[in-house]
Amino acid sequence: MAQGGEAVIRVADLRRYYGDVKAVDGVSFQVARGEVFGMLGPNGAGKTTTIEVLEGLRTADSGTVEVLGLDVARHQTSVKERIGVQLQSVSLYPRLTVTELIDLFGSFFSRRVPTRELIDAVDLGERAKAWSMNLSGGQQQRLSIALALVNDPELVFLDEPTTGLDPQARRSLWDLIKGLQARGKTVMLTTHYMEEAAELCDRVAIMDHGHILEMGAVNDLISRRFKERAVFFDSSPQLPVADLAGLGGVTRTAQEDGQTVLYSQDVAGTIGALLATADGLNVEPRNLGIRQATLEDVFLDLTGRALRD
Amino acid sequence: MRTLLRLTVANVKSLARDRAALFWTIFFPVMFVFLFGWIFGGNGGATTIAVGYVDLDGSAASDGLRQAFGGVELLILHDGSLDDEKAAMQRGDVSAVIVIPKGLGDALAQARSGGATPIAIEVYGDPSRNQTTQVVEGVVGQIVNGVNLQAVGGSAVVTVTELSLQSTSISPVAYLVPSILAMALMQLGVFAAIPLVQQREKGILKRLGATPLARWKLVGSNVLLRLMVALVDMVLILGIGYVFFDVRIQGNLIAVVGVVLLGAGAFLAIGFALASFLKTEEQATGVVQVVQMPMMFLSGIFFSFTFLPGFLQTIARLMPLTYLADAMRQVMVNGTQVAPLGLDIAVLAGWLVVCLGIAARTFRWE
Repeated sequence: MAQGGEAVIRVADLRRYYGDVKAVDGVSFQVARGEVFGMLGPNGAGKTTTIEVLEGLRTADSGTVEVLGLDVARHQTSVKERIGVQLQSVSLYPRLTVTELIDLFGSFFSRRVPTRELIDAVDLGERAKAWSMNLSGGQQQRLSIALALVNDPELVFLDEPTTGLDPQARRSLWDLIKGLQARGKTVMLTTHYMEEAAELCDRVAIMDHGHILEMGAVNDLISRRFKERAVFFDSSPQLPVADLAGLGGVTRTAQEDGQTVLYSQDVAGTIGALLATADGLNVEPRNLGIRQATLEDVFLDLTGRALRD
Repeated sequence: MRTLLRLTVANVKSLARDRAALFWTIFFPVMFVFLFGWIFGGNGGATTIAVGYVDLDGSAASDGLRQAFGGVELLILHDGSLDDEKAAMQRGDVSAVIVIPKGLGDALAQARSGGATPIAIEVYGDPSRNQTTQVVEGVVGQIVNGVNLQAVGGSAVVTVTELSLQSTSISPVAYLVPSILAMALMQLGVFAAIPLVQQREKGILKRLGATPLARWKLVGSNVLLRLMVALVDMVLILGIGYVFFDVRIQGNLIAVVGVVLLGAGAFLAIGFALASFLKTEEQATGVVQVVQMPMMFLSGIFFSFTFLPGFLQTIARLMPLTYLADAMRQVMVNGTQVAPLGLDIAVLAGWLVVCLGIAARTFRWE
């Protein structure tokens, strides 16, 4: 649970099934005012279903869902008045301009931010008269965020805000999202990029198969599981991971994305022993490297699978 | 209200900026009016006009008149009784009927000897064939002037009374203009399925659903847009019919607007119902063509469907466009009936209600 502050999202034992598929299967969490809260997980983990129940776009099969102190199912319109929503990969009316779209969406709300101010906030000034269909991917996402802010919402939902963007566009969007928090808004986002979660979120819930596996501040999640650092190299049949588990300092091993990972409390000793073993077999570990444990490692440890697949 | 207006404006802009959509909803029907108007053009290229001639007087003076009319090369005279000639005109065999009244000879004789009571030659014309009627009336006027001049030095003893007699066999162009308007309304409504499916597929409807916007406003703005385009189509097509092909509205303009709105509404409901079942834009584009093409060719748009083989006529009688085109011809040019106007309206209202019900029950927003 968040440190202090009033909870603007309260979810208890949320369930949503589609036939036999348990998209969301008993999820509980709370988000405090002013927090950036992230749901991290692979595609199909249930992140989007959860966020869409909170946005009032889907109904829950069971469980309590409160947003801004209101039961979402019963007070849909009042909730929608006060939240900002960005959906996953939505295109807008393709032949309306940036300005026209912001004006249009503004007219749906009783409270609204001046169009010019929003265009400047998302840095689309030069494209204000361009049709939305002619914007680049990053510009479309920025427009999408502008539309989510049109009613000056207290709480903003961003579903996979940077999926499909190039690294530069992603960086600029991250700055935009950090700016939201600086302006006192609460943000809940979903992502399957662990760097994104680590960069933006105060707290992260790791989700898989409709369950939250672990929840907390990014650093806590990592240090809770990994006091070690990771030694990694391209997997090779001549260096079976089982043979390496006993090397000096190694506490755990893993296979991930074609790489063998040795979690070690004594990196120098582990690398020395690894190289000696390899030398004896007359092989050389390729792309050998060392890194801190990341959210990726946490996910791998929790599920036995890599996050991106 | 402001929201509804804004959404409608957004829809209008989206349509106006989409050349393909604009082509189908506006230029395509206009093109058809010109194309088929020229094919079946004006008077069909006729250089003579068949006219019924009824002589109720039988005097020497009326024989003289008969000769005068017979000398006009433009007119082909069919002599007969008043009833026969009026029937011929209703069938479309003659375009006008000239009636020489009983007592014409006597009136002219009296005129020469002083005091005379004026007497009128009657000309029955078909107001839906205004050009032809005007030509006939012009000829009659000239001959009557000649008679008056000869007989009494120009004072109007013989006058002309213009009467209208509606021919049930309307000219090909007069048949075509209301039919093409009906076709345009059909396409306008059925094609509405495409942007709806597109907006759902792209997630626009879902995104709007995440705002406090009421759904009826979303639907309402689409309906408003289409009804506005329906009226634009009406003005364009009727205007072109009037200016280029001399097709005039015989009926009540309010009735015409009423049928236009009912027809657009019925086909819009069909479009919405279609959109409920279609998933992708490609699917929608294909299915919409499958729905509209047979209607376009079988519902008696370009020619009366009585020329079709029997089983196709049965199919045509099941198609809603048959009834819209029929209603449109009836209120615009008093065309031949396929069904009574009341039945046409009932059929269209039926489609409207049933399809709207289907759409309301099955339409999905994402």
